[in-house]
Amino acid sequence: MAGATRLMDPILEGWSGRPLDWVLARARELVEDASMPTVHRWREQGGRVVGHFQVYFPEEIAAAAGMLPVKVRGAALEPRQAEARFGSYLCSILKTSLELAVTGRLPLDLFVSHPICDAARNLAAVWGRNLSYPSRILYLPQNAASDYAAEYLTGEYEALARAIEEVAGRRIGDADFARAIAAFNENRRLLRALYRVRRDEPWRLRVDECYVLTALGGLVPREEHNAVLAAVLPQIARRTAQRQDRIRVVFAGGFCEQPPLELLSTIGESCYVVDDDLLVGLRLLREDVVVTGPPLAALAHAYLLQAAPTPVQHDPRMPKEAALLDMIHRSGAQAAILTAAKMCEPGLDEQVAWSRALDAAGIPYFVSEFEERMSSFDHLQIQLETFAENVLFA
Amino acid sequence: MAHAAGVDVGSTQTKAVIIDANRRIAARALVDTGANVVVAAERAFEAAMAAAGLDEREVGFVVGTGYGRYRVTFGHVQVTEISCHGRGAVQMFPATRTVVDMGGQDTKAIRVSPTGEVLDFCMNDKCAAGTGRFLGAAAAALEIPLDQLGPTALRAERPVAITTTCTVFAESEVLSWVARGRRIEDILLGVHQSIVSRALGLMRRVGIESEVTFTGGVARNIGMVKALVDALGMPVNVGEESHFMGALGAALFAMDHVEGRRAREAS
Amino acid sequence: MECDQSGPGRGVADGADLFREWYGALANAAESGQRAAYVFVMGSLAELLRTFDFPLVFPEINSLQTAIRHQAHEYLNDAEDYGYSPDVCGYVKADLAVQLRGGQHPMGSIPAPSIAVTTNACNTYLKWAEIWERLYGIPVVVVDVPGTRQAGAASRPGDPDFVRDAAYVLRQLLELIAVCERVSGRRFDIDRLRDTMACTNRMLAAFRRIVELNRRVPAAFNAVTEGTVFLGVANGFRGTQRGAAYFDRLVGELGRRAAAGRGTVGEERYRLAFVGVPCYPIFRRFNDMFAAHGGVFVQSTYLQFASGGADLGWEYDLWRPLESLAEGLLIGTRHAMDCMFFNDAAIGAALEPYAIDGVVYHAVKSCRTVSTGLADGRRALSAGHDVATLFIESDMMDRRVVSEAQLKNRIDAFFEGLDARRR
Repeated sequence: MAGATRLMDPILEGWSGRPLDWVLARARELVEDASMPTVHRWREQGGRVVGHFQVYFPEEIAAAAGMLPVKVRGAALEPRQAEARFGSYLCSILKTSLELAVTGRLPLDLFVSHPICDAARNLAAVWGRNLSYPSRILYLPQNAASDYAAEYLTGEYEALARAIEEVAGRRIGDADFARAIAAFNENRRLLRALYRVRRDEPWRLRVDECYVLTALGGLVPREEHNAVLAAVLPQIARRTAQRQDRIRVVFAGGFCEQPPLELLSTIGESCYVVDDDLLVGLRLLREDVVVTGPPLAALAHAYLLQAAPTPVQHDPRMPKEAALLDMIHRSGAQAAILTAAKMCEPGLDEQVAWSRALDAAGIPYFVSEFEERMSSFDHLQIQLETFAENVLFA
Repeated sequence: MAHAAGVDVGSTQTKAVIIDANRRIAARALVDTGANVVVAAERAFEAAMAAAGLDEREVGFVVGTGYGRYRVTFGHVQVTEISCHGRGAVQMFPATRTVVDMGGQDTKAIRVSPTGEVLDFCMNDKCAAGTGRFLGAAAAALEIPLDQLGPTALRAERPVAITTTCTVFAESEVLSWVARGRRIEDILLGVHQSIVSRALGLMRRVGIESEVTFTGGVARNIGMVKALVDALGMPVNVGEESHFMGALGAALFAMDHVEGRRAREAS
Repeated sequence: MECDQSGPGRGVADGADLFREWYGALANAAESGQRAAYVFVMGSLAELLRTFDFPLVFPEINSLQTAIRHQAHEYLNDAEDYGYSPDVCGYVKADLAVQLRGGQHPMGSIPAPSIAVTTNACNTYLKWAEIWERLYGIPVVVVDVPGTRQAGAASRPGDPDFVRDAAYVLRQLLELIAVCERVSGRRFDIDRLRDTMACTNRMLAAFRRIVELNRRVPAAFNAVTEGTVFLGVANGFRGTQRGAAYFDRLVGELGRRAAAGRGTVGEERYRLAFVGVPCYPIFRRFNDMFAAHGGVFVQSTYLQFASGGADLGWEYDLWRPLESLAEGLLIGTRHAMDCMFFNDAAIGAALEPYAIDGVVYHAVKSCRTVSTGLADGRRALSAGHDVATLFIESDMMDRRVVSEAQLKNRIDAFFEGLDARRR
């Protein structure tokens, strides 16, 4: 029935009224669970799922169609099936993401990626050859400064919306968009609040804790995510935690392949990570999307004007080094941890520009690589402690 | 001239096999390759002839294989060890459709036709993880003789998960498990499983079709055989001659030439 | 550029001459302080930029030249000392080293840029251009060309989706023209654009006929060793009379070769298709490893994605030059991307017309755009067609990652398989 919204049972059951530690533990479980239980719960109720790869995807469109948008971000597992479909010299996230799909852990009705890098832009074709549902490429503008970019992107979103409608089996109306955009605006507000805690009172919320709270949003309907965040924020504010003598850093390089949680908590032992680009795609638009006319045009304008800079979006208006320095300044950080996933070309390229800019600005930084499947962090810990001591006693 | 020979010059060992007109193994020999590949090939061939009680004139054709195949100066033709392992495996186990060869420094997965022709292959020769070298590094770290690796691994109860992908770091990872108080048996099985997991990756690229035959020197390691069987979930053929499979395949190619020549002479 | 005078004939020799001339002109420009437009093979917009008299520099071609001349490792080392990872594109690093050396290059001096124009055909192009932006403070114009959204669903002229995409490209070209006028100090001359586009039309038509000549047995040219030279001219001289004349002559020469039943150098026992980027560090020896077994490359996806739409039979409509330029750029660049991502379809369609016996997939560490989809493309091709395939990996620039012994082993095994098939 066109325009109908099916009412779904909540995916996150029994979360209401729980203490903060319970929520954090449960969130972590879900975020690390490669069997994707929330997706299966959704599907059991007849719901349809759009899987979207890193970095950014206008999830509002999928949500407006009554579908669940799921952030595909790899996993810490052995990509046994997927590995045979790729050669060497590639980042892990491509393989583990495909592994989730071909092993049935992540059942989708539509997969969408956008060309963030040369490796990932091949993913849609590989995905399409190996899975039976549509695999689509969304072409976000790499010429964001063009006067025509907004018109182009609006048209691109319209084509995407049509594709989503076809898979969802229903039309998306203005009321649907209004509802979805409102939910995502609320989500953006809550995530901004979360990140404000990290910036202003980092002893109350560790980087890995914030991570699992953020990542949860990519697994469940945003309304449910909003309810969780709204419930935990006051609890975080009331948390009794001692302020420690740790250096304030930003973490850069987590925009696509994700570091293991243990890596983040290892960093958290020596530093307060007061800002980062981890899962930045889930919170890319830094302000509310204001709908005054056609909703897709509003989303397109928001992407072009309000998106956080990333190494994978070319933008002559904002060189990447300037964006990093801005992040450091706004968060009151003293230093930066510049990472790249192994084999991540945009990340590795950016490390050079970042390093040189920080050298020029006299800001200390620590350079490292990670892999989503790494399991030993001793090396890193020692180096980080040394780095932190240097900064602290400089 | 009813016999044919194959000489497989590997990085550490050189193997020679002589077969008779019925394609049965008349003799085999193995020497260390050492620094002089040409001499190693000669010595292996001579040792095999001596064991068979033949002299050179009775061996109608010699095929060289292995990385040093172009240094088998007395060889008539060179064939890659990929083709030789495929051919040898099907000769030994006619129902073979997938071959996994684990050597000292590379591992291959080969899919073969019923007549032993190579349909597809995939090799790991980029790094030593997943080869016998990795096993050697672990053995050295644990100070266990190579021939004890398999039996020791078989006594494992809770294998550890080896995550290092680099042979150079294998030693330090193994030692870190020792420091954490894990049993040698469990560590060793973990190492075996890690190697098998890499081999399986290669096998999946060519497609795993039953029956699977395991060749190469590492196939003599019963711990590796068990780890492979467990990972595959299907039985695996391992011959007495697994170490000589390359040389056997080469000898079979050599016999083709002998027969071809005889057929031409007869017509 | 190296060339074999006795074998492939004038096409390669003439190409080498043209290149020497081109680099000579660049060296003159560098010496006189004139600055150039830096462009890329996929989507060079040479026709437009030439109307502003910009000398054109193709950094990709400069970089591969360092590898062919066995000097790439020095350049790569410089870039890695500067901070770039061994795991990023070798083309970018070699060019950075040229810039750091003040334009010094094995073929002479390369002028610095005054403008860079790139499409999004390769994401590394964008990161690369950002490097020049930092080094020189020059305008970098990205002409965004949307690609095919889904396998088999490329829009066609007239479709609303096509119209939308072409409009976007056209608007960006108009913005580019404004930047070019500012940087060059010249007014845009649409008649000059018609002239350059007319030259390209001649070139594309000839290129297409040349590629089709290889449907004959024996093939008229080696798609990798000679094809790379032809591609170099097609890109470097796109939109010029010299380039058009070269291809007119080349069609004649190859046509005569084909009509006389003469093939490439050596025996043609097996007809092969090449998928990937050539192995420039051992360019000749790489081909020799196949030629030793009578293997001849008769087709390659490189000829498809690096030829700017030639294989599609594209022809610019000179009555509406700007619109047609936009459409051509859209179709050509999109086609290049499709050849890479949907390589199974691209090669699958060529198997029969070119009588292909085997397909060689050469994945290179540097180029993820081309290489990421090759293993799966190969799998898909093998599932749908009964053709022998070989998968090898090395690099197009970095000798450290090229192991001849390992390549030879795999290549030998591949031909053993081909021999067995034939029996």
